[in-house]
Amino acid sequence: MKRLLRFSAVLGGTGAFALIAKGAMAASESGGGGTLPQLDVGTFPTQIFWLFVTFIVLYIAMSKVAIPRIEYVLEERHSRIAEDLDKAGKLKADAEEVQANYEKALADARGSAQKLIAKTKDDASGKNAKAEAEADAAAALQVKEAEARIDEARTEALANVQDVVSEVAGDAVAKLIGVKVTKTDLKKAVALAMETK
Amino acid sequence: MASPVAQFELKSYGPQIEVGGVDLSFTNSAAMMVVAIVGIVAFLTVSMSGRKLVPGRWQLMAELSYEFVANMVKENVGSEGRKYFPFIFSLFMFILFSNLFGMVPIPEIHYTPTSQIIVTFAMAFVVFIGVTLIALARHGLKFFTFFFPSGAPVYMAPLLIPIEVISYFVRPVSLSVRLFANMMAGHTMLKVFGGFVVALGVFGVAPLALIVALTAFEILVAVLQAYVFTILTCLYLHDAIHLH
Repeated sequence: MKRLLRFSAVLGGTGAFALIAKGAMAASESGGGGTLPQLDVGTFPTQIFWLFVTFIVLYIAMSKVAIPRIEYVLEERHSRIAEDLDKAGKLKADAEEVQANYEKALADARGSAQKLIAKTKDDASGKNAKAEAEADAAAALQVKEAEARIDEARTEALANVQDVVSEVAGDAVAKLIGVKVTKTDLKKAVALAMETK
Repeated sequence: MASPVAQFELKSYGPQIEVGGVDLSFTNSAAMMVVAIVGIVAFLTVSMSGRKLVPGRWQLMAELSYEFVANMVKENVGSEGRKYFPFIFSLFMFILFSNLFGMVPIPEIHYTPTSQIIVTFAMAFVVFIGVTLIALARHGLKFFTFFFPSGAPVYMAPLLIPIEVISYFVRPVSLSVRLFANMMAGHTMLKVFGGFVVALGVFGVAPLALIVALTAFEILVAVLQAYVFTILTCLYLHDAIHLH
């Protein structure tokens, strides 16, 4: 702005210089009687009068009509732009909310799916363990039964062996020495012999 | 060849109006002032009549001229200058349109009111008086401290105060002479070169080309001087409101 002012001052200076030169030229051309029409005091009142009349009319027209009209338009545009920006901001917030909801729903779904998977896995492994335990128990029972049967068979077999041995011993004693030994004695003797062995 | 300053002579039209022995006849200068204000009012009201949200070219120009002056007032005077905006805006538009219409060769009434020292001086004087009254109303007697810059050593007062007083009272003169001299010099120059075009016959093409360039330059000066007058008014108003 300062530069502009300086520029205008320079312009003013050159203007004034030109003015002097031209004034001198005019004076010489019109034969010495040439004064500037601007310096004719007689024309001053009419010029001042019409300047004031026109300027006052202009001032009233500007301050009452033109300026309020321009200000109204500028203000309206300003508020309209602010309103539109507001609306855009609100819409953006809405969109963000929708997105947040969507993301939350997605996360929820994912969470529940994971929970379901974990639960299913747990259930399956529990069932497996139970079945395994049951199978183990059944197998153990069968083993026990089989062992019991084997024991039984052995004792029976042993008992039969004692019977046969005692009979054979009785027969052998009778044949050898002709003594009839009672069955109970025989059995006792056999049992004794088997035990000592 | 007519004198190049003959163009500044006033021609009066219509009946001779005399009030108390003072001639107030309607002249070509007054006619151009009327043309200027009609032009301004037409420009600003017709272009804004649509009141469009998205402005067209004319509406945009009206809005730009408003915003140009509004920003000038806001930046140079501050928020207190809001009150004086209509006056400053009217002043700017009046000088601008007077200067620019002065470049248009309207038959019969062609004239540039701002090429008259009395017109520019009347405007500058109103500004000067108005600014001084505003300063006195706002600051009372404190206004006179304006003539002694604060911080200057006291023994400088005999030198500084006369300088400040003179520079203050010279304001309306410099303000008015700057505009008047620019307008007058420009129009005189155009007239002189116009005379050369006629006088030189075929070789008049050279000064004619110069006139074309000068006309463009004068349009720049017309806008620039309107701006300078307005911004100096704003600066004076700033001084009146803030005292330096």
